[in-house]
Amino acid sequence: MSSVEIIQIWVAAFFTLAIFSFLYKDNPFYKLAEHIFAGLSAGYYVGLIWKAVIIQQLWDPMLAGSWWLVIPGILGVLMFARLWPRISWVSRIALAFVMGNTAGIFLITQLHGIVLPQMQSTMLALGGTAGFASALLAIIVVVGVISTLIYFYFSKEHTGVLGVTARVGIWFIMVSFGAHFGYTVMARISLLIGRVYFLADQWLPSFSQLF
Amino acid sequence: MNFWDKLGTLDRRWIYLLVALSVIFPLIVPMSFKISITPEARQLFEAVDALPDSSVVMLTFDYYPSTVAETEPMATAALHHLFRKDCKVVTMTTIPLGGPSMAERVTRTVARKYNKVYGTDFVNLGYKANWVAVLKGMGTSIEAIYPADNSGTRLSELPLMATVKNYDDVSFIFVVADNDIVQNWVSIVNAQYGTPIGAGVTAVGAPKYYAFVGSGQLTGLLGGMKGAAEYELLADARGLAEKGMGMQSLAHLVIILMVIVGNIAFFAGRWSKKGKVK
Amino acid sequence: MRTIVPVIVAFLAGFVMIVSFFFNPERTFFGRIESEVLVWVTIVGGFTLLLGVVSITRVNWHAVRTKKEGWVYNLFTLLSIFVMAIPAMLPVSWSQLFGDTEGSIYDWLFFHVDYPMMATMFAMLAFYIASAAYRAFRARNPEATLLLVTATLVMLWRIPMGEAFLIRVGDTLLFGYNLPESINTYIMNGANLAVQRGILIGAALGAASMSLRIMLGIERTYMGKG
Repeated sequence: MSSVEIIQIWVAAFFTLAIFSFLYKDNPFYKLAEHIFAGLSAGYYVGLIWKAVIIQQLWDPMLAGSWWLVIPGILGVLMFARLWPRISWVSRIALAFVMGNTAGIFLITQLHGIVLPQMQSTMLALGGTAGFASALLAIIVVVGVISTLIYFYFSKEHTGVLGVTARVGIWFIMVSFGAHFGYTVMARISLLIGRVYFLADQWLPSFSQLF
Repeated sequence: MNFWDKLGTLDRRWIYLLVALSVIFPLIVPMSFKISITPEARQLFEAVDALPDSSVVMLTFDYYPSTVAETEPMATAALHHLFRKDCKVVTMTTIPLGGPSMAERVTRTVARKYNKVYGTDFVNLGYKANWVAVLKGMGTSIEAIYPADNSGTRLSELPLMATVKNYDDVSFIFVVADNDIVQNWVSIVNAQYGTPIGAGVTAVGAPKYYAFVGSGQLTGLLGGMKGAAEYELLADARGLAEKGMGMQSLAHLVIILMVIVGNIAFFAGRWSKKGKVK
Repeated sequence: MRTIVPVIVAFLAGFVMIVSFFFNPERTFFGRIESEVLVWVTIVGGFTLLLGVVSITRVNWHAVRTKKEGWVYNLFTLLSIFVMAIPAMLPVSWSQLFGDTEGSIYDWLFFHVDYPMMATMFAMLAFYIASAAYRAFRARNPEATLLLVTATLVMLWRIPMGEAFLIRVGDTLLFGYNLPESINTYIMNGANLAVQRGILIGAALGAASMSLRIMLGIERTYMGKG
């Protein structure tokens, strides 16, 4: 390991342990690490947007002849008006442009890309089964989808047939949330494994180089 | 407070210590296990494996550095698989915090092992803001959204991008993500342009995407570190995920044990209180 | 005026996206307009990120200037922003330390300071979830018991050791029944898939109706006050 690599590993390990120290209790090392993290993350955005948007999407294309890009550039600058209450209304135009655009895309894609395909694959499930297990699975899916949708329908009181279906929905939801919890535990442990592995595989071996 | 109440309200730092030990122990006493392959992971691997060599594949680095332990092994294994097949790889990211840097580093590190040439065999497009517009815009023209790649080279100067104008020229999209962007890749890109999409996601998001696999909108799914380990095994690109399975196993067992003990303490405490009242 | 103009802009921006969905993007006027509008949106979106940075700089500068409690930490935040941002904006031709390529200050600080801290912050969640599972995950009623049993089965299924145990249980107690395969089929691809599909459909319908409300100017909360 070169001395530069050792410094890199020790800096990373210092900040890793500083953050972990919060598990015992809040302390100045954790506070310092947290504030540096916030600053570096904000600084990262600046470097990224400077290159990816201002230089690559505005400056260079405008120099090459696409002068009309000054319009989104102005709209983007207008966004900063939000910081001053007296002129914050000016930023609404830029916000409305972005929100309207996203809304237009979502209106189509949510229906075309999610609702219709998901409904279609639920309806097909009963028709194209092969064998008892396949048919059972198809019934589970259809009953599960309908009862879940009914459980989350709160415009009518859950009584009678609606109430029974919602009750079935709760059972399905508990199974799904249980699966979610199991997966979430797995996810969190995996992230811890990543950091422990770094400390064990890179930081601890560096001790032998130093001492 | 009786024994059961004390057990049920144990200082959380003892719990932290138990979890830490369960993750550290397999490092001292290595454990290796046979990893089984789920049908969803095999489906993804076979879909990529079936691509003709020299196909263009878009690999997305849609994850934050916070979930690197789960997602980076997936991206790395995918790159090994793709480069071994001589596929052309176009990487991009919708994550502003760290996405472009991680895509650059991971791709170049793996590419070096296969002597791949930047600009001809792989290109890193980098990041552009507003992922909805980016995903939609690339359907018409990638160059309109990305006039230059991550390092500032104009796309027109990159040989690979002369043949990749939009999704029609991409054979497969391999999304590695730790957020809901997979849903948007499916609803915006797969639904409108028909490009097959496979996803490697963190375990937190995995249960949700079974619905997309079931409807055929996703061709395969990797869930969490186990999913990454499965792909590493299939693609013969062993890495952190496979090594982490031992630690994962012990930690899960410790947590299951803690849940059981917690419930025993709860019910025993309740019964002992009922007994005293009688 | 302050409300009507943004509402009209939102409607037009969305209308272009909806109409262009039905037109060929390369051969029609609407298609070309859509393409240009999307580029403009990515540019404006970039400035939105910068807005957050300006805001955080203001807040921390104010804390340092008025010497609020813990102002030294706020000073470190400000210094970190500038140390990261300024070298990244300078040309690489001046020095290899500038820009954002490998070997630059920007790249070094990201990979060796920012990235480890971000990863560690999320790694801490493992401890919190274990503590929550121990203290709060109780089988108080049949529904909670079902949730707990499913979670346990899935946690076992996802680890090789647990999967081997489940196979052994199936072999010895359930006449060779493949438990792991059943968990994948009937829990993940059965009940879980059904519930997630129901939630997806409901959420997508909600998102579509919210999009319509935004375009028609009924929903204006994104504009804020003033």
